[in-house]
Amino acid sequence: MNVELAGIHRSFRKNKAVVGVDLRLATGVFGLLGPNGAGKTSLLRMLGTVLPPTSGEIRLLNRDPRGVTARREIRRRLGYLPQNLGYYPSFTVVEFIEYFALLKEMPSSAVPKAVATAVERVDLGAKAKAKLRTLSGGMLRRVGIAQAIVNDPDLLLLDEPTAGLDPEQRVQFRALLRSFGESATVIVSTHLVEDVGAACSEVALMSEGKIVFRGTPDELITRGEGSGVGDAPLERGYSAVLSAARS
Amino acid sequence: MTYPIESGQPPTPHGSAGDVNLARVWTGVAAEVWRRHPGRIERTAARLLRSPALARALLTTPSLLLPWLISTVVVFSVGALVSLGPGQPLVWLVAPAVAAVGIAFAYGPAIDPAWELSSSCALSSRMVLLTRAVAVFALNAALGLLASAASGAATTLTFGWLLPMTAVCTLALAVAVAFRSAVVGAGAGVAAWVIVVLAGQAASGQVTASVTNAHAYLPYLAVASCCAAIVIYAIRPERGLQ
Repeated sequence: MNVELAGIHRSFRKNKAVVGVDLRLATGVFGLLGPNGAGKTSLLRMLGTVLPPTSGEIRLLNRDPRGVTARREIRRRLGYLPQNLGYYPSFTVVEFIEYFALLKEMPSSAVPKAVATAVERVDLGAKAKAKLRTLSGGMLRRVGIAQAIVNDPDLLLLDEPTAGLDPEQRVQFRALLRSFGESATVIVSTHLVEDVGAACSEVALMSEGKIVFRGTPDELITRGEGSGVGDAPLERGYSAVLSAARS
Repeated sequence: MTYPIESGQPPTPHGSAGDVNLARVWTGVAAEVWRRHPGRIERTAARLLRSPALARALLTTPSLLLPWLISTVVVFSVGALVSLGPGQPLVWLVAPAVAAVGIAFAYGPAIDPAWELSSSCALSSRMVLLTRAVAVFALNAALGLLASAASGAATTLTFGWLLPMTAVCTLALAVAVAFRSAVVGAGAGVAAWVIVVLAGQAASGQVTASVTNAHAYLPYLAVASCCAAIVIYAIRPERGLQ
């Protein structure tokens, strides 16, 4: 198991962001759905070792991230795209990705090829030497994805990765997710249910800090049959599960 | 993303031109064309720090970038040229304040746009912070000493500000880290230094008392130690964003 969560809680003062989440994940693409404020980003930040849980146990890549050495080893094998990607405007695409490859402590000799591969995988070859300040929002998102995958991670965490991508890029991105899911654990937080249906083998739906549904996209569709609100089967399943959880 | 849209599948391991793996060849070419060649300073820093990552992080320090360095040199030059009185160039007055601002703007959530991303990386944020703070302090101290020596100030004035500078810098860093704001840290450092100078003048009648009075050295050391302890406590791994 690459991800093992047991009784995870996270509070920010009186606000309970994540409430008693249990999760065990092996390789594959795992979708995390839920409305705004459901706790998806807090959960991803805890998985990214950026935020410690208030209580509960986390094991990532068979290690306990509370230990300094273990956390460092986890981070070497981790790819993380935060919801708000901060970037250095004066860096070029290649410089930015290279910087994070170095921060992930990749061997220096392997960095140039890894950077080139990551740039090509997100189709930014034509902009490799462009300054980040000159890129559009969708291109910046792809730069963020490239830095996340540059170390060929075993655990890939993506928070709203398709925000700003056009439909063609989203289709290509889903193919990228599927290829990573063959050998790594990929967790994608999104509010776009069509991304989940196309790319994820399993999905969880969060509401008010709790996981209220876990299953395959087909099982989520089944939940929405005959009820739920939405134009697509997955949307109906999503709304039906949320309605049930709230009531 | 280079996968064909129609298939949505990864490219085949071999290209279409016979046995030549075109994708691999192209990646190799791109890696060579795009690779960044570190400058002499970065290579030296990487050797000294035994970490290319730390060297790169050091050279991206906001308060070590060229515009900031030029501003620092200008301020120190003005400090060396302008005197309050005979043999009293202003370097002793500006050095602690400039260094405090530089250290407050070295690293942190409010300064580093990619702070959250950096926090998820293997290289320790604490190590980056420590390296950057030491580098900024050392550079400011060196520039200050050069300016002070060039101005022909008395020995007590040439070296006397180093200890107050240490105290003011650690205070600025502690406040910046504790409040997660470079502006607040810089403001606290500068304000504290102004208060110390004015208090020294009020107590002794000499404007340079804050750096020439040997009785003040122990309190400076105490402040520096306390603030260093606060910094270490504030950036401990268990605290929220690491």
